[in-house]
Amino acid sequence: MSNRDLTYLAMKSKQRNKAGRTFAVLSGLLAFSAIIFLAFSVTKEIRLLGSANSDNVQWQLSQTEVEFLEFSKTLAELPVDLANVRQRFDIFYSRITTVLQATVFEELRDDEHFQTSLDAVQTFLRLSVPLIDGDDAALLAALPDLRQSSIQTRRDVRDLSNGGLDLFATASDKQRSAVAATMIELAAVLAILIGVLAVAVLYLNRLLRALTRREHQQHQTSTRMNAIISSSLDGVIVIDAQGSILTFSPAAEAIFGYFAEDVVGRDLATVIVPPKLRDVHYAGMERMRNGGKKAVVGKGRVQLEALRANGELFPIEMAIHSSITTEGEILIAFLRDITKRVADEVELVAARDAAVAGAKLKTEFLATMSHEIRTPLNGLLGNLELMSETELTQSQSRYVRNMDTSGRLLMRHISDVLDITRYDAGKMTTKSEPMDLSVLLQDIIDSQTSMAGANQTTLSWGWDGAPQNWIKSDPDRLQHVLLNLIGNAVKFTRNGNVTLTVAAQPDGDVIQLGFTISDTGPGMSADLAGRVFDDFVTGNTAYDRDVGGTGLGLSIAKRFVSAMNGQIGVESVLGSGSTFWVRLPVSAAQPVQRQPALPPPAARPIRPLQVLVVEDNEINRTVVRDMLEKGGHRVTEANDGRAGVTAALSRRFDLILMDISMPVMDGRTATRAIRRGTGPSAHTPIIALTANAMQEEQVNFLADGMDGVLTKPLTKAALADVLGRHTGAVQPATPQAAAPQVLNSEHNAETREILGESGYARMSGVFVEEVEQFILWLDDPASHDLSALAPQCHKFAGSAAVFGATALHTQLKEMETAAKQGNDSAVMALRSKLPAIWKATRALVD
Amino acid sequence: MLKMVLNTAMGASLALACATAALAEDMAAPQGDVLLTVSGDIDVTNVGDTLQLDREQLAALGMTSFETTTIWSDGIQTYEGTSLAALAELLGLTEGKILATAINDYTVEIPVSDAVEGGPIIAVLMNGQEMSVRDKGPLWIVYPYDSNKDYRSEVVYSRSIWQLDRIEVIR
Repeated sequence: MSNRDLTYLAMKSKQRNKAGRTFAVLSGLLAFSAIIFLAFSVTKEIRLLGSANSDNVQWQLSQTEVEFLEFSKTLAELPVDLANVRQRFDIFYSRITTVLQATVFEELRDDEHFQTSLDAVQTFLRLSVPLIDGDDAALLAALPDLRQSSIQTRRDVRDLSNGGLDLFATASDKQRSAVAATMIELAAVLAILIGVLAVAVLYLNRLLRALTRREHQQHQTSTRMNAIISSSLDGVIVIDAQGSILTFSPAAEAIFGYFAEDVVGRDLATVIVPPKLRDVHYAGMERMRNGGKKAVVGKGRVQLEALRANGELFPIEMAIHSSITTEGEILIAFLRDITKRVADEVELVAARDAAVAGAKLKTEFLATMSHEIRTPLNGLLGNLELMSETELTQSQSRYVRNMDTSGRLLMRHISDVLDITRYDAGKMTTKSEPMDLSVLLQDIIDSQTSMAGANQTTLSWGWDGAPQNWIKSDPDRLQHVLLNLIGNAVKFTRNGNVTLTVAAQPDGDVIQLGFTISDTGPGMSADLAGRVFDDFVTGNTAYDRDVGGTGLGLSIAKRFVSAMNGQIGVESVLGSGSTFWVRLPVSAAQPVQRQPALPPPAARPIRPLQVLVVEDNEINRTVVRDMLEKGGHRVTEANDGRAGVTAALSRRFDLILMDISMPVMDGRTATRAIRRGTGPSAHTPIIALTANAMQEEQVNFLADGMDGVLTKPLTKAALADVLGRHTGAVQPATPQAAAPQVLNSEHNAETREILGESGYARMSGVFVEEVEQFILWLDDPASHDLSALAPQCHKFAGSAAVFGATALHTQLKEMETAAKQGNDSAVMALRSKLPAIWKATRALVD
Repeated sequence: MLKMVLNTAMGASLALACATAALAEDMAAPQGDVLLTVSGDIDVTNVGDTLQLDREQLAALGMTSFETTTIWSDGIQTYEGTSLAALAELLGLTEGKILATAINDYTVEIPVSDAVEGGPIIAVLMNGQEMSVRDKGPLWIVYPYDSNKDYRSEVVYSRSIWQLDRIEVIR
């Protein structure tokens, strides 16, 4: 929960408490007011009840009766005391006057019965006053009447007295019940007040409990926090907004070498901040106090330099958080001594750099070595091939064959190493071209049958399920992988069977190919099966001597399969044989008309050619020369690029073989010079002669104007192929000549391999578009200018050569020649055929 | 009458003998009808061991008047008479009580502490008229009920004795 949430909850709780308190106070006040009011009422009632008013009034009334009796008594006395009679009369009279006048008798006077009695008494008084006020004689004479009337009036006086008594008794009853009612109300209000008080007490009790609980929680939290701070492996330092240290944890003590009691209260800067950083620290604190932007607070981990008690500077990693307390803002810093980590990192970086440099060096070394080994090896193999054609004794021929076998094995090892280097450098590209899988598999099986036969092993292959002959894949890599697996199986199996099964499982647009190579050979231990695809693993078996190897075969196979997005694996039981499997995603392909195999060069009638060989290595030069001369060709030698250019200027050659890396001028520069010039050999096919197997390089060769690549070591077959392909084309075409093939698929495949699939797609797109435009341009009258046509023809002929579009290339070359010769009619004839040729070419190039 | 003379003589002789001779000398016997007879523990006497005062003598002690309502009458009345304080001064009373008795022998007890300036008077006139017995006369101890809330109490009402004719002083 965040601080804001807590603050919000606290506020809410505070608001609730406030509302509760207000309610309690209001209820209390209300009840209290009610009690005051009722108490006042009760007091008043009690005063009324206890007031002598009524008593006094009753006393007055009874006193009136007493006075009347006193008066009556004087009348009955003998002898009669007249003065006494008069005084008593007057007293009685005054009583009645009071009853008549006094406000306290007001209510009584309103009573009808009382009034009747009062009227009667008043009548008596009115009648008696003249007698009393008269002289003694008259009074004496009137005494009997007075006595008589007083006896009659006596009842009225009594009624007066009793009537008052009744009335006041009723009034008293009323008042008493009023008091009782008020008392009950008072009791009720008191009960309510007690209830409110009880509720208030309960509420306060709850508040108290909550408070106690919170206090307890706070105490626990505090204890826990202290425990956390104390046990934290990171140093914890808490400072206030002024920078004074509030907390310095045990871990901080260990890191900085101070005791907490020595530094608490001190300025943080003077304790752990190195002098050079103090200004920044103070500026930061100042900015924070002024509410400015916080540079490090809440920004996660930062790395800084800190100062130990002994003056040592060391790197720390820390995270700072701020918190608002009642004493203002505080900062909590978690610090970690990262001296060791920084040292480790430095060491690690150094180690990594060394490793990367080492790996790079290794790659470079391997690439260089492969070149350096190939060159002399080329010389050896070339000479062996020449030697085999001289007169040799039988044993000499065997020695030559053995040397040739060893040489080629060595060459293959070098190729293996190069493949690994290439794959590991991420430079391995795969092709995707139409191929007939059944043909490939049959070829592989055929090539291994004799070996298997030698081991009394039967070798067979077959489809599991429906065959899928035409696929798009990389035939070279696939052949390499399968040949390796089958070769291994054949090698290790004696008197058994080796079976290759292939299944094609359509999966959307993709076809999952599954190859299974099972043998009945010795099998492998689980341990060996687990690492058989690792580099430099060789089976440690009794057949080792017979089947030795570099241990790179399977690891290269695995790399190839991976490069083709496939998987490879093995299941094996020691003593019962092994089953290797390969799963490969491929796509279906339309069947391609298989090119008729080129007739063997020796059997093919080729006119003698003029060939320029540009090569600095004398041995290699000699080998090439001897091979060519044996074919009846004429060879001119040049031992560096510049000499080659000069030679090309001197006369027209049918073919130039160009080494790449040469002193003075390299092959690429020389090629560009020849192509740029207008010499007689400016358009002669130039074939690169290189041991540099890096394919991306070969793209550059073609861009320089070369027409093909021959990889060393040179074989007679490869050389004858190149001669046949490139020189046949440059021969002046005759109407009778067979139409040249539309697409040289081998050459095209080479370009594909060199460019990679995506590169090829891009380049072929550009090519198609350019040629389309060129054909449109031909319809333009401007193209009738032959001097403008020739360079265009040259340009697109070059492009066509790159894609192996032989027919197109030939056609354009002829047009170029015709244009240069100013042979308008020949140009027109060639032009008319171009759209048809392009149409056929385009269908295949895509 | 003899008794009266004797009393006077005795009073005179006593007056001569005591420290308050001057006062005693001044207090002559009443010439008119005696309205109030003061007895009991008093030094000032004129008839025997009592002090008897007629209307004039009472008036000579000084007249005080006020207006007030009473619970026994209707409306505001004006009462005029000798203040109880003046009587107490005459008698040298500072403490104790007086027993005031009416014609019908009804007696109330009034503490001397009630005799203060602005306090009760022994009214002889109501609304400027002498009061007959029928009008609660001839004397009526009236407190100024309206001017002081304390006088509107039952105790004070009970002390408001009318038809007063004698007082006994008890120190």
